[in-house]
Amino acid sequence: MALKLSREAYAGFEAAVGAENVSESEAVVQIYAYNWGVELNNIQHGRGFSPFTNPPAAVILPSTTEQVQKVVRLCNHHGIMFKAISTGFGPWNTLSREGAVIMDLRRMNRIVKVDADNMFAVVEPYVTGAQLQAELMKHGLNCHMPGAGPQVSPLASSTSMAGPGFTSPSTGHSARNVLGVEWVLPSGEILRMGALGLRDAEKADWFTGDGPGPSLRGIMRGLMGALGGLGVFTRVAVKLYRYPCDTRWQIDGYAPDYAFEVPKHMQFHIVDYGTYGAMSEGLRRIEEEEVCLMCFHTSAYGLGAIFSHKIGEFIKSMPRTLGVKHPLVIMVAARTRREFDYKEMALASVIKETGGKDLTAAKRIVPKSLSYAEGLRSLLGFHGFIIGTSFQSTHGGMETVEMCSRIIQANIPLKKRYIERKALGPDKGEGAWSTSYEHGHFAHVEMPSMYDQTDEKSARGMAEYMSECDKMDLKERFAMPFFIVGDEMHDLYGPQVSNYQVWLRRIKEALDPENISDPGFYISSKKERGENGR
Amino acid sequence: MIPVKMLEDYKTIAGKCLRCSLCKFIPQVAIMSQEFSTVCPSIDRYNFHGFSGGGRLVMALALMSGRLEFTQDVVDVIYKCTSCGGCDVACKYLNTLEPLDVIQAVRERAVQLKAGPMPAHRAYIQRVVDTHNPYGEDHGKRFAWMPGDVKVTDGARTAYFVGCTSAYRRKEIAVATARLLSKAGVEFTVLGDGEFCCGSPLLRVGDRAAFEDAARHNIGALQRMGIRRVVMSCAGCYSAFKVHYPEVQRSGFKVMHTSQLFSELIREGRLKLSKEVAEVATYHDPCHLGRCAEPRRGWHGVEFKVLTFVRLSVPPRQFRRGNKGVFEEPRDAMRRVPGLRLVEMERRREYAYCCGAGGGVKAAFPEFAGFTVGSRLKEAKNTGASMIVTACPFCIINFKDGIRESGGGMRCLDLSELLLEAAGGGAD
Repeated sequence: MALKLSREAYAGFEAAVGAENVSESEAVVQIYAYNWGVELNNIQHGRGFSPFTNPPAAVILPSTTEQVQKVVRLCNHHGIMFKAISTGFGPWNTLSREGAVIMDLRRMNRIVKVDADNMFAVVEPYVTGAQLQAELMKHGLNCHMPGAGPQVSPLASSTSMAGPGFTSPSTGHSARNVLGVEWVLPSGEILRMGALGLRDAEKADWFTGDGPGPSLRGIMRGLMGALGGLGVFTRVAVKLYRYPCDTRWQIDGYAPDYAFEVPKHMQFHIVDYGTYGAMSEGLRRIEEEEVCLMCFHTSAYGLGAIFSHKIGEFIKSMPRTLGVKHPLVIMVAARTRREFDYKEMALASVIKETGGKDLTAAKRIVPKSLSYAEGLRSLLGFHGFIIGTSFQSTHGGMETVEMCSRIIQANIPLKKRYIERKALGPDKGEGAWSTSYEHGHFAHVEMPSMYDQTDEKSARGMAEYMSECDKMDLKERFAMPFFIVGDEMHDLYGPQVSNYQVWLRRIKEALDPENISDPGFYISSKKERGENGR
Repeated sequence: MIPVKMLEDYKTIAGKCLRCSLCKFIPQVAIMSQEFSTVCPSIDRYNFHGFSGGGRLVMALALMSGRLEFTQDVVDVIYKCTSCGGCDVACKYLNTLEPLDVIQAVRERAVQLKAGPMPAHRAYIQRVVDTHNPYGEDHGKRFAWMPGDVKVTDGARTAYFVGCTSAYRRKEIAVATARLLSKAGVEFTVLGDGEFCCGSPLLRVGDRAAFEDAARHNIGALQRMGIRRVVMSCAGCYSAFKVHYPEVQRSGFKVMHTSQLFSELIREGRLKLSKEVAEVATYHDPCHLGRCAEPRRGWHGVEFKVLTFVRLSVPPRQFRRGNKGVFEEPRDAMRRVPGLRLVEMERRREYAYCCGAGGGVKAAFPEFAGFTVGSRLKEAKNTGASMIVTACPFCIINFKDGIRESGGGMRCLDLSELLLEAAGGGAD
């Protein structure tokens, strides 16, 4: 049973958003206690093997910034911890404490503005990537899509999460795409960042996050975002890009065997390299040339999954894909023949110089038309689930291309141990996804691993492996891992990295002195953790 | 017989929900606009996650693990769903879960525990028991609509199974169908007093026992008449016969929807469409003729694990993705109507948006049914069509209610009515 709110608090929430939009029914709240990866989080925190965690005392569905502000003020008044979620994919969308409430921002789903001239769009929390992209295509524009998939929220990714994506070589990552932000602080105050903060409402707009109003993007999200621990982001402006090719979008047939009419001037290339070193050099050089819409490394196993739509297809693809060593998946897209020819020539030249083999040109691995649509719509990552189990990533963070390659190689023997225990799927320890941002200057790597979330042995193995990966990052001085979240992890890592946890806690303290915005996947204020955070 | 699974059989599947929200939208690569990107009427209307396909998987898991019980609140969520299967198609684009089967299994468990169905459902189930139709109409008048100019041939091997809604509420569909069969020279018979409700409305709300009674009765009646082919106007009847009767007993007769037969008759030149219908029309895929009509196949084989977690079955088990229903035939028939221009809605075929009536929703939650049909009609009007055509009398009821409530502006016809118009109409 979920803890119940006082009648006064509940009535306050009802008055704020309408009775139909608040519920404390067990039928409603228990569903919010479940999420992808919760069982791993439970195991890691000694809570046993269960996909459920704390149910909220109530779920509240505000539809405007003003309603969010009212709810936050009520939470402060009654001392109720809260967490806001949007599309809600991942364990960080659950509560770390009993008696807290969830604000499900589903009803805030408006595309507020598309400024085609200045190339930005303003969206609310429950606009998904696919929805935004579909509307932008009508203007010949595109947006950065998080790798988590087209069904997730660009606002959440921009303000509160890491946000690499398949088109990162050409669209960066979420932190680089966020402009003006409307933010309901944990106190209930509304902060409008960047150009939105202009006092003259006529002139205030969303085109920059860095002034003349406050520029707080680093404080707001830093590397990973606060994952719900710093209030509620109600509207955000994101950068737009020219759509990379012809915007006509035509699918035929039936799911999942759609045929996509591939726009003119688009081409996948699967390029194999004999060594990690050569692959890294290829990745860096290709991205320096700025000729690719996407360019990422995955394992041979991952290659099979990305281009299959059914388990049978995946198995059948294995003889072709498992012989591949260290591949890059590259997509070239252009709006004109001339542009396309140039990009293709530049790419071919770099592949040759770096010793790559173009398996697509050799017709060894030829993605079907649907894969082009999935590439454009950021649906390739979801193929990790087609074999019928879960996956979760380890390591991560932003580093150099070379460092990413080192992380992948160092991880192989560790992962193999868990593969031998049959806790993880047998990808030879090589399972990885790595892409670069900003023309090869830095990169992202994560190590997706398959496990069975319904099998305790496998889940416990995965949880243990994740902890080992985190330790490895620290010991080997690798990049800041993907999922260093919560007090325990920050207090472990911080002393190794400029005592950043002290600063992070100060930010939390300044913006949320009452520790009322659920700190479970961020950091607690000093008040809760004590002066040294412990 | 095709085996039926119990709720507990789905425990592992329910535990694999990713909470990814793909189930709330049409397949992501099919999204053309924000407005028509969603696929689940229930989450669209009620917003809390438990009202989505994924939320219902979690609810099933919570029920099985004792975190939830079949309280009235839980039952309310369970039945505020048209069980249209949109979530199922969207999930299965890449995942391997079974949201629709789990929704059905939870409803059946609710009925077994006497927690469900809703009072309005219990009332119509009782009417089916008493009068063999959910409307409580006089069973003796089931074929009172039959026009005098249509010849019913005793001993014919084709039977027209009229269904309750066409028989009592949308008789024009029954009349049009009989006239079209007659015009095409199809010898057919009807079951007369032997035709009972197909049982679909009972099954959808979880009363499998009552459904099985209905199925056994109808199969027996058709077998005794020596029927080789049974044809029906109603999508609900069609999916009951095609998908779920084989779970009860073997029948030995061919099951066809009228849209399939009409398409065949037109292509063979037996049904001639000569009158121009100069309109722009869009077609609504009924859930139970489309994605929910994919037949189930039995499976005998071996299953083993490869690559640690991958379950492989030899021969491959059927994985119903909702893509083998009746989609093309009604469209084919419409394209052959002189002067008619068929335009598609954004959400179509296996990812069509539900009309809102099914799964017991129209009976128990009429406001929700109105909400859903309003969204679908908006999408239909967005195509520029002046006419929405479908192939299910229950969808027609909801569309006509929706059109009336929204002040008109669109004609709604069953495919049979459209084809009869194009075939020159009939005596009346």
